[in-house]
Amino acid sequence: MTAAKKASKKQQENINSRLALVMKSGKVVLGLRQTLKSLRQGKAKLVILASNTPALRKSTIEYYSMLSKSGVHHYGGNNIELGTACGRHFKICSMAVLDAGDSDIVRETAKA
Amino acid sequence: LLPAAIMVSKIMKAGRVVVVLSGRYAGRKAFIVKNYDKSGSDESSGKSGQDKRNYSHSLVVGVDRYPRKITRSMGKKRAAKKTKLKPFIKIMNHNHVLPTRYVVDTTFDSKVVNKEAFKDAAAKRKAMALVKSLEEKYKAGKNKWFFTKLRF
Repeated sequence: MTAAKKASKKQQENINSRLALVMKSGKVVLGLRQTLKSLRQGKAKLVILASNTPALRKSTIEYYSMLSKSGVHHYGGNNIELGTACGRHFKICSMAVLDAGDSDIVRETAKA
Repeated sequence: LLPAAIMVSKIMKAGRVVVVLSGRYAGRKAFIVKNYDKSGSDESSGKSGQDKRNYSHSLVVGVDRYPRKITRSMGKKRAAKKTKLKPFIKIMNHNHVLPTRYVVDTTFDSKVVNKEAFKDAAAKRKAMALVKSLEEKYKAGKNKWFFTKLRF
C-alpha cells in the first residue's frame, strides 16, 4: 500500500476503536431525527456522517453543526460500515456523540 | 472534559430566523419569539394553561405576504401599497422549521404575543396588531434578508 493509503487505514482504525469506546462508555444518538434534535438542543458534541449520506442531508446537518458549533466528522465508510463500527445490525447515516465517556473522540476529531 | 474549542450552543433561541418547512407557511421566513423545549415528563410549571406540547416548539412570527419591490419611478401611493407586509404568528414544531444563521432583534410585548393568544380570536387579533410593527422594521431597512422572499 502507498503511504497515503496506509495512513488513512490507520486513521480509520483509530476512529473505529474510538467509536467502540464511545458506544460502550458514553452517550450517543443514532439516526437523523435524534441527531438533529440533539443539535438543536445543543447537546451534540460531535456529529458523524457516513460517506453516502445524501448531499442535501449532509449539508443540512453541517449547517446545524455550524450553528451549534459542534464538530462534524465525515466517516470514511458508508452507512453499513458505520453501523458495523457502532456494533449495530443496521445502517447508520448520521449519529451524534452527546457524551464521550472515556473516549477522546471529540478531542481527536477536533484536532484533525 | 472538552477543550474550550468545542463549546456547543443551543440553536433555537429567541431572535433566531428560521425557514418554515411545512404547513401553510412553508417557504416563509420567521423568527423565534419564544422557545419551548420539550419539557420533562413531570414538569408542570412554565406552561400555565392547557397548551402543553410533547415536543420542542417555538412561538414564531413570520412574513406571510412579503413586501413587493419598489422602484424609483413609482409614485408615493404606489410605493406605500407595495411595501405592505402581512405577518403571521404561529406555534411551530422545531422539526418543521430550519434554523438559519440570521437573527432578528425585535421583541413584542410578551403579555400580548404569547401562546395564550391562540386560545381565542380576540386575543389573536390583538397579537397580530402588535406584530404589524414588523412593517416598520422593513421600512427602516433593517434585517433585509429576512424581508426578502426565499426563492425556490
